[in-house]
Amino acid sequence: MGSISLNGIRKSFGETEVLKDINLDIKDGEFLILIGPSGCGKSTLMNLIAGLEDLTGGEIVIDGNDVSQESPKDRDIAMVFQSYALYPTMNVARNICFGLEMSKMPKEEQEVILKKVSSLLQIDHLLDRKPGQLSGGQRQRVAMGRALARSPKVFLFDEPLSNLDAKLRVEMRTEIKKLHQRIGTTIVYVTHDQIEAMTLADRIAVLKDGELQQVGTPYEIYNDPVSHFVADFMGSPGMNFIECIVKDENLIVESGGKKYELSIPCKEALNNSKLDVVMLGIRPEMLTEIQPSVEKNAYIHKVKFDVEVLEPMGADTVAIGQWNGNEVMARLSPESGNTAGKGFDLQVDTSKAILFDPNSGLRIR
Amino acid sequence: MMNNYKLTNFNFGRAFIYLILAFFAFIYLAPLYVMFTTSLKDIEEIRSGNLMALPIDPTLYAWKKAWSSACTGSECEGLAPYFWNSVRIVFPAVIISTILGAFNGYALAKWKFKGSDLLFGAQLFGCFIPFQVILLPMAKLLGSLGLANTVTGLVLVHVIYGVAFTTLFFRNYYVGIPTELVKAAKLDGASFLKIFRHIFIPLSTPIFVVTIIWQFTQIWNDFLFGVVYSGSGTQPITVALNNLVNTSVGGKEYNVDMAAAIIAAMPTLVVYVIAGKYFVKGLTAGAVKG
Repeated sequence: MGSISLNGIRKSFGETEVLKDINLDIKDGEFLILIGPSGCGKSTLMNLIAGLEDLTGGEIVIDGNDVSQESPKDRDIAMVFQSYALYPTMNVARNICFGLEMSKMPKEEQEVILKKVSSLLQIDHLLDRKPGQLSGGQRQRVAMGRALARSPKVFLFDEPLSNLDAKLRVEMRTEIKKLHQRIGTTIVYVTHDQIEAMTLADRIAVLKDGELQQVGTPYEIYNDPVSHFVADFMGSPGMNFIECIVKDENLIVESGGKKYELSIPCKEALNNSKLDVVMLGIRPEMLTEIQPSVEKNAYIHKVKFDVEVLEPMGADTVAIGQWNGNEVMARLSPESGNTAGKGFDLQVDTSKAILFDPNSGLRIR
Repeated sequence: MMNNYKLTNFNFGRAFIYLILAFFAFIYLAPLYVMFTTSLKDIEEIRSGNLMALPIDPTLYAWKKAWSSACTGSECEGLAPYFWNSVRIVFPAVIISTILGAFNGYALAKWKFKGSDLLFGAQLFGCFIPFQVILLPMAKLLGSLGLANTVTGLVLVHVIYGVAFTTLFFRNYYVGIPTELVKAAKLDGASFLKIFRHIFIPLSTPIFVVTIIWQFTQIWNDFLFGVVYSGSGTQPITVALNNLVNTSVGGKEYNVDMAAAIIAAMPTLVVYVIAGKYFVKGLTAGAVKG
């Protein structure tokens, strides 16, 4: 069991308000990702859940019990730190068992747990080593082992992969996901890496300036963002934003020296907003080379595109040009990327395009 | 890069550097040489011979006398009893002030509370208080505690005076240890004391060595507190050495004076030789790699 309710959480450091009225329910067994730019308060929120900082207001409820005033050790929570925070003078075995030792568990039981955890994480052969003798990935495993050993109600991960190199990060990401599927314990995971968020989460909570922007599944966050900020934060390469003039429910786009009228799905909302200029949001993967197999419909457009920069990424090539003076990225196949240049024929699919109010940054819907 | 240098080639700049180094080494070592050779000569040879000459007929007479029978004022028991006085003062004072400093430093570095930085600043101020300023108030305090002229009283004085330094050393060392270790240990259920014992103490060898050397040297070499707060039977060796040199029965025995001075300085030299490399290491040790 490990459900968490955050009710009206507030936290200030002196005059600075770091968290402003956070309300969030995390279900038992859920993998929740807290994401946001640095300084948004996500690590503070995690420290509050762990009990390492005191609340300024609100309450934290774990499994129906208000734990706001309880000390960290009584909350039955384990945490994996960005720096791993392994005890440098203890060997791996003692690092893993330290929590058990503190709770005065008999040695024999500790041994059993140590065996189980170390074989689960494949660190059996490292038990006698000191943290200084381990590689980054091995330290990461030991840090997870230390958290696992106590079989807590909730795991907190504070940017656990950001100290690893790119390849290892992908490997460990998969392992964390497997681990969660196997043990099924609630995980709250802080990151600023949107790929980690997309790949791992059951639900993502996007945080900005101490306020929750949106909470939803990765699919919702990616395809149905509530604001310009959320849309911009998620996705790599990021969503294109183009300021367009509205004309008869269509948007005017100038590309490759010509003017186009793009038809968009949310016409009613656009009419209701009574705006003359809107911000069009469209993901790069909706801008491709002409694909003959795609059925023609109102949302498929053919647009001339002057490619200024090409960024081959292997699996696909990002072509960068301009629409209405705003930078636009298109995602082409490597083959068409090779031939792309001035006046390239671009297929634009607006079926998933979304609109924002250019002043407030909020969705028009 | 090194391969481009031909170290074997004669080079005037380099020769000049070595010459200067040798010159200063000589200046620093000459007094020790004179003390040591003089202590092995008899008084006739000192009067007639050359200061820098090696002893013709080396003898341990001066060392024996300095240790066990030279007069320090009216007593003529040598330095031995005062040497043990110093030992009885130094060991407890070093141990207590180091332990207190370690606790203070740990709390000030890792368990910040309201006003903890101010408190640290105030403690730091203690490092800059001259000995002379506290002589009278301290004498009053020792008197009212009934500790005047006792070894315990001197231990107390050195502990109080030393805590400012030991706290500074430990606090600055512990600031370099990642706070996440404390957080992790808190979540593991460890208390203030258990975190200190299981995580911080094992990391502290270098800073313990630095503090112990520092405190040992300060307290062993102290003269002012020793001369002010000790009684006739509790004087430390520095005070006894002064008395020995200033007591003249008959002619001045330079060889005994020199032997006595070396005896008084020996323990700090020994501590440096044994633990010196840790001292340098501890002073330069940065954050702990985890």
